[in-house]
Amino acid sequence: MSEKIKVLYVDDEQENLVGFKASLRLEYQIFTAVNIPQALNYLSNHPDIKVVFCDQRMPGKSGVEFFEEIRISYPLPVRILLTAYTDIESIIDAINKGNIFRYVKKPWLEADIISAIEEANKFYMANSMLLIKNDELQKAYNELNKFAYSVSHDIRGPISGILGAINLAREIDDVEEMKEMLFLMEKSLKKLDTYIISMHDYYSLQRGELKIQEIDFNEIIDEMKAIYMVLSKINNVEFKITVNQDEVFRNDRVPVKLILNNLLSNAFKYQDKSKKDKSVEIIVDVHKNVATILIKDTGIGILGNHIGEIFNLFYRANSQEVGSGFGLYNVKSALLKLNGQIEVNSVMHEGTTFKVTIPSI
Amino acid sequence: MDLAFIVIDESELDCFIARKVIQQVDENLIVYVFQSAQHGLDSIRENRISGGFTTIILLDLQMPVMDGFQFVEEFEKLPAEIRNKYKICVLSCTRNASDISRIMAHKTVVSLIEKPLYKADLQALITRLA
Repeated sequence: MSEKIKVLYVDDEQENLVGFKASLRLEYQIFTAVNIPQALNYLSNHPDIKVVFCDQRMPGKSGVEFFEEIRISYPLPVRILLTAYTDIESIIDAINKGNIFRYVKKPWLEADIISAIEEANKFYMANSMLLIKNDELQKAYNELNKFAYSVSHDIRGPISGILGAINLAREIDDVEEMKEMLFLMEKSLKKLDTYIISMHDYYSLQRGELKIQEIDFNEIIDEMKAIYMVLSKINNVEFKITVNQDEVFRNDRVPVKLILNNLLSNAFKYQDKSKKDKSVEIIVDVHKNVATILIKDTGIGILGNHIGEIFNLFYRANSQEVGSGFGLYNVKSALLKLNGQIEVNSVMHEGTTFKVTIPSI
Repeated sequence: MDLAFIVIDESELDCFIARKVIQQVDENLIVYVFQSAQHGLDSIRENRISGGFTTIILLDLQMPVMDGFQFVEEFEKLPAEIRNKYKICVLSCTRNASDISRIMAHKTVVSLIEKPLYKADLQALITRLA
């Protein structure tokens, strides 16, 4: 076991506390409190206390009452009552109300305490796992809702467009007009295709495991360069690349590429077409086991009040008909997976800089 | 026919289809197309839509930056003499019941047509509103 289980024992008789601590301190980390304020103090300073023992008969407040009180403010620690006399009624009542996990009879045997702690610990772990799983499940449900919602727009939207166009085509005789419509249909389908590819990225980021390998940023950028060179030429946007890497960098290649691809394609996408000198610049610096990647564009910029939301699933800060609302969300998920960070700096009409840092593993 | 149309839809293809379908009904109908709800609203507010007509706004719901809901909220803040010239018909592919009841709760929204837009639907709408 990596760390000792933290146990709190509350009893108004000092010698009980001493005896408890003396016989159990090797196995567990024991905190002892002679009164309730002291106990509450321990609970607030040590949120990882897993088991709380309390004597039933104490001045002012009974053990059952103490447990009733901390059950609300400290729900996680498992509560065990120690009782000298057989106050069966109140114990049964407390157990039934769910205030205590079990009780141990006084004078206690060391074996009883140890077995109580071990059982309580199992119960605690199961509860904590359940909480974590519940959180994950809640998150998954929320995203599923967003998906269901987006399906009607991002998938059904292009399909209904194509259906409308097909219906219209029956009455169009003019070839030029037909070509114009085919062009728009193609654009719409390409967007749908991008959406589906991003959805696939989304899924593999959420569910896939890390595959750590050596990464040569020169190689990665070379692989991606071809596409962006074409974009650079067509749209008359200068594309500058700088890579400084003299050391080995290790992490998962797939999410790294996904991050670079999303940020670069955004940098090209959201250019200001009316501007004369347009550029996209990528600078990669690998230094002391950290890769720092800057992606700068001379684009339209992001409004200050949108910046907080751009990493949200299906959020789109711009009305150009290109975004799916997946890209930056996937970037953020990928960074979460790689233990990396991202910062954004943007000035309206001047451009945006994304700064990404990824540790080598 | 004393009618004009404003199409507000992010999708270029859907704008193209709406314009074509409107012109199939009557090729003399005036159609303004906006791919951004904000631009559409600005034009309405600044009276850049040529007057004298009743104008039907075909409004999509899901759009970035300003969506159909925000558009209707802003539209309802306009002075009555501007508002009264327009009737809003939502044109969307949504099947989401809460979205539909939310948008139809606005009294400036008079109708809803599910995409794709067909000539018969539009004719029915014109007959109803004219």
